[in-house]
Amino acid sequence: MYAESVSFRTIDELESALREADYLPDRGLATALFLALALEKPVLLEGEAGVGKTEAAKALATSLEARLIRLQCYEGLDVSHAVYEWNYPRQLLHIRAAQEGTVSEEELFGSEFLIRRPLLEAIDSDEPVVLLIDEIDRADEEFEAFLLEVLSDFQITIPELGTIRARRKPAVILTSNRTRELHDALKRRALFHWIGHPSIEREVEIVMLRVPGIPEALAKEAAAFVRGLRSLDLVKPPGVAETIDWAQALAALGREEIDAEVVEQTLGSVLKYREDIETVRDETLVGLIEEARATANR
Amino acid sequence: MQGAAIVRHVVTFGRVLREVGIEVGPGRVEDAVRGLGAVDLTRQDEVYFTLRQTLVSRHDELELFDRAFVAWFLRGPVAPLVRQKQMRRFTDRVARDTLETGTDDADDANPSSTPHELGASGHELLREKDFAEMTPEEFERVRRLMAAIARTRPRRQSRRRTPDTRGDRLDLRRLCRKSLRSGGEPIEQPWKSRKVVPRKLVVLCDISGSMDAYARALLFYLHAIVGSGGGVEAFAFGTRLTRLTPDLATRDPEAALARANEIAVDWGSGTRIGGSLAEFNTTYGRRALSRGAVVVIVSDGWERDDPDLVSREMAKLARAAYAVVWVNPLKGNPEYQPLAGGMRAALPFVDRFLPGHNLRSLEELGAVLAGIERRHAA
Repeated sequence: MYAESVSFRTIDELESALREADYLPDRGLATALFLALALEKPVLLEGEAGVGKTEAAKALATSLEARLIRLQCYEGLDVSHAVYEWNYPRQLLHIRAAQEGTVSEEELFGSEFLIRRPLLEAIDSDEPVVLLIDEIDRADEEFEAFLLEVLSDFQITIPELGTIRARRKPAVILTSNRTRELHDALKRRALFHWIGHPSIEREVEIVMLRVPGIPEALAKEAAAFVRGLRSLDLVKPPGVAETIDWAQALAALGREEIDAEVVEQTLGSVLKYREDIETVRDETLVGLIEEARATANR
Repeated sequence: MQGAAIVRHVVTFGRVLREVGIEVGPGRVEDAVRGLGAVDLTRQDEVYFTLRQTLVSRHDELELFDRAFVAWFLRGPVAPLVRQKQMRRFTDRVARDTLETGTDDADDANPSSTPHELGASGHELLREKDFAEMTPEEFERVRRLMAAIARTRPRRQSRRRTPDTRGDRLDLRRLCRKSLRSGGEPIEQPWKSRKVVPRKLVVLCDISGSMDAYARALLFYLHAIVGSGGGVEAFAFGTRLTRLTPDLATRDPEAALARANEIAVDWGSGTRIGGSLAEFNTTYGRRALSRGAVVVIVSDGWERDDPDLVSREMAKLARAAYAVVWVNPLKGNPEYQPLAGGMRAALPFVDRFLPGHNLRSLEELGAVLAGIERRHAA
């Protein structure tokens, strides 16, 4: 099916392709993505915010030289925003314009009046596609049930046009921050991978890759400091995304290492809640910095 | 490993997983076998992840899986595996059975004791009676009346629209179709409106010693609410917090209460309201369980530790929640004053403050929940 598109024979091959797309997966994630392609099954990536779920989908699309189609979920998301909608103003104008001549229903519900939303776009595509269904836990359960149908048959029925079947199955990645458990039926349909925070070595590697030119010592200290933050009781523990943002800020300030002053100035790019920033003030901050430097120099 | 050997291995491993309570269907086993066909079998990490990603679908099953994997494939020494008593698919049936037997018994014992006849004089007395003063028989009768109250749930408007002649928005899709017949004149105007669906409800119930009699009554009430449909989360707390939702759905509430007591209460060490709220905010609030939900806290407000912690955590909770209701059984006493430190600290963040000492007050709670509006909007 993927005859003319990129394919990977081994997990190592996929892993190095992802690395080339500036994404460093751990073995588990590489295996999950590999299996998703090999078994042609959707994969559900769960984990705390900021561990790189969405980025994984983007990197996979790059590696596959495929088009990334993203459906961002939210409460109340419905078929007209996820699948398709008819262009009513155009339809009405068309009927008016025809005036005396009669307009047939077929004409009115033809594909030129169809507005294609992400799911239809992904199913009805001739080029290779990675379909990212982001934060599925935010959509409501009715939509989940509908999605289940689409993901089992890879077809969409539009009453006026008939059934559109995928000519090539898109690679499907679902992400969830686990604000609620998803329906079992949907989970059964997908491979499941839990993404945790990366090991410190990997996080340093990620920072070095994403912030070109950053001194290695600084990358190490930043990663160790963020790791220290994660062990505290915070409203929102920082993810890898925050480590990268912060390292960028530190590098932009021309820093070689972290100290209390620069951390105070830039803490806002790591911690997004006022309570969290207050928790980390003063002694805690000094302690964390000392600890981070000790870890980095080991 | 040959193909047949792999299949045998995976099928047996699937059985091991079922033993420890991880539900593994035949479809999953097939995926696992296909997956193993695609990866390098000499690499342990590839085999591990392939099995894990195909056979497990819940984060909280990962630990059990890991232990089973070590035991089965690595033949390592492991801690004994825990068998889960009940499977989730029985949930609904059990919940339904409990409710049904409840009604049947009621009919046998007293033909007039249906929820609709709450007004009968005997019941009038029962409605007013403090839970703490009830005999076991009276309590049993009250239990059955709770199911009726539990059906009133706070609701919210879904963003989804359905055809409705009294709707507030034109249904353009149908309008276009109908206009065809009239040459583009929209003579018939179909309308649609938003559906109303139950709003998320989160209940945190204090089960420490001082709340004993009331907590029991409220747990029966909770049990009935959980049976009323999805979107309900229940927690119990004493010195610690524990999630009750799965227990309330599968077992009888007495068993759930007993288990919660074991986990969450250290006898004689007082209630940690602030600490428990903090635990809720960090573990569940972060997963947005409370966002947009009506949160009901049932407690007498006696805090063992620092009331300041209560007020900090209440502030966090109130920010995420749609509305916060505090049910305090002591408020049933007309002379009650919220003097307990924890209660005083919490009140500024509470939208509704209600008693919960008898059946009538639960009815009141039901009515409040059905009509609750966001304080910040009102």
